[in-house]
Amino acid sequence: MRVNVDLRLKDVPGQLIGALEPVSRNDGNIVGVVHSHDKVSAGRIGVNLTFEVSSEMNLDKIMNEWTARGVDILKIDHLFETFHLEYVIVGTVSANEMKRITDGIQALGGVESLNVRYSVSSSDEKTALISGKVRSKDVIKKANHFMRERSKRSGFLMIRGFGD
Amino acid sequence: MIKMDAVLVGFGTVGQGVAEAIQMKDQLFVDRFGEGIRIVAAFDSNTYAASKKGLNPTELVRTKVGKGNIGKKRPETIPEMLSRLDYDVLVEMTPTNIVDAKPGIDHIKAALNAGRDVVTSNKGPLALKFREISKLAAKNKCNLRFEASVGGATPVINLASELLRCERISSIRGIMNGTCNYILSRMESEGLPWEPALREAQQLGYAETDPSYDIDGIDTACKVAILANAIMGNDVTVHDVERTGIRGVNLEAVTLAAQDKKVIRLIGEITEKGVEVAPRLIPRGHPLSISGTLNTFHIQTDLAGEIIVAGRGAGRHETASAVMSDLWVIMRTKEPNSHSS
Ligand SMILES: NC(=O)c1ccc[n+]([C@@H]2O[C@H](COP(=O)([O-])OP(=O)(O)OC[C@H]3O[C@@H](n4cnc5c(N)ncnc54)[C@H](OP(=O)(O)O)[C@@H]3O)[C@@H](O)[C@H]2O)c1
Repeated sequence: MRVNVDLRLKDVPGQLIGALEPVSRNDGNIVGVVHSHDKVSAGRIGVNLTFEVSSEMNLDKIMNEWTARGVDILKIDHLFETFHLEYVIVGTVSANEMKRITDGIQALGGVESLNVRYSVSSSDEKTALISGKVRSKDVIKKANHFMRERSKRSGFLMIRGFGD
Repeated sequence: MIKMDAVLVGFGTVGQGVAEAIQMKDQLFVDRFGEGIRIVAAFDSNTYAASKKGLNPTELVRTKVGKGNIGKKRPETIPEMLSRLDYDVLVEMTPTNIVDAKPGIDHIKAALNAGRDVVTSNKGPLALKFREISKLAAKNKCNLRFEASVGGATPVINLASELLRCERISSIRGIMNGTCNYILSRMESEGLPWEPALREAQQLGYAETDPSYDIDGIDTACKVAILANAIMGNDVTVHDVERTGIRGVNLEAVTLAAQDKKVIRLIGEITEKGVEVAPRLIPRGHPLSISGTLNTFHIQTDLAGEIIVAGRGAGRHETASAVMSDLWVIMRTKEPNSHSS
């Protein structure tokens, strides 16, 4: 996920490095730093930082480290990037199984939207397109794992997308 | 002057194509190496022909097509004869067998044990016993080359293992089976259900009467195993490849995918996560959304980014093209100043 924060640092040498370090130490990837010298208030300067981080857990660690170092966090925004999740499934899939699938994907977390489109078919065989938007590639990975399990257990064919 | 005496084992579609290509490209080899490739022996399943001075390739093909065999009965088994004959390179082109890799594996081992170089189009030995034969080749300081085994004419193995040597390759994904791709493309472009699309592929000679080797993804899995071993340095066999074929893909699935601007393609995939063959949803316009029988490979590297290569995956002269490029490289290694070219 992508995060944008407004920080206040002491206006002394080494502070900026000190603010960036926790990000890189916790697998974050710094995308942009805007350093505003003019916003000095009570010996402090403002820095706006944008970075990518792989999980909420790592973000928490970063914030704790900032607090420990005396960096003030004024504002934090999550700028979510969305990734597409999609599967076509073919087989005798009951309504119950379909619910298990959609509930299971939702339960992974980080799912913004999820749609199911059925194709009209005369046979017992159901064909459906499940598509959705999720907040990280990690969710796609987990969903793939989950779908693989379901397809093995219920015996339907699962055709997955190319976004992982 | 560099001499190259070849023994051809297997004289079907590919074997005959190679004999014809050796004849066709003779002058090219003479100009570069001072001498062309001589076929000193050729074998089909029951018979053989041999001549120290070299057999006439055109005659060989004519005899095989006319009589159904290439010569006389063998006095010994092929491996025994490969240990005894005098030659530089074995070109192994017998049928792919993914149960025990025979007879190809025995031919390849006999040649390597006799210190001969090997070029092969046969996937069986490479998809089942890659480490064993590559170790044997290294131990005996022999070349073992197999461009034709994956992608037919498409130069994916030599491209990735030689020209992209300084790259870290993180994934190879590809359409590696023309039959499956033809069936899926026809379902999508003509709205053909699965059965008629398969029958059409069979009538055009793309699919075998028993199409399971192609449509259950076994052929693609063999190629995935070969690429994983040869390029990514893995140690896998065809049985390690997670495999789903295209048997269950119905017209409804193809149509639903199309409504979402996607096509369904059987993709062979080698990544750091593993080796897999499965039908996938590919965005229209992506290099791997290609229609028809061409093979396409998408290689992801650290410096170059994406590299894409496509070409004909099968056919008499197409496959011979890959064999010829391997023979050329072997001759170059024998040049006294081989590093200079
Ligand atoms: N065809 C292609 O486009 C293509 C592309 C890439 C790779 N390949 C691979 O190349 C190899 C050859 O393919 P192909 O299409 O040429 O096959 P093919 O037309 O069936 O020819 C196979 C040849 O091997 C001979 N043979 C069979 N069993 C043998 C044995 N036990 N000992 C010695 N010879 C034996 C056959 O003899 P008879 O003539 O007496 O039957 C025939 O001459 C296969 O491994 C295939 O997977 C093929």
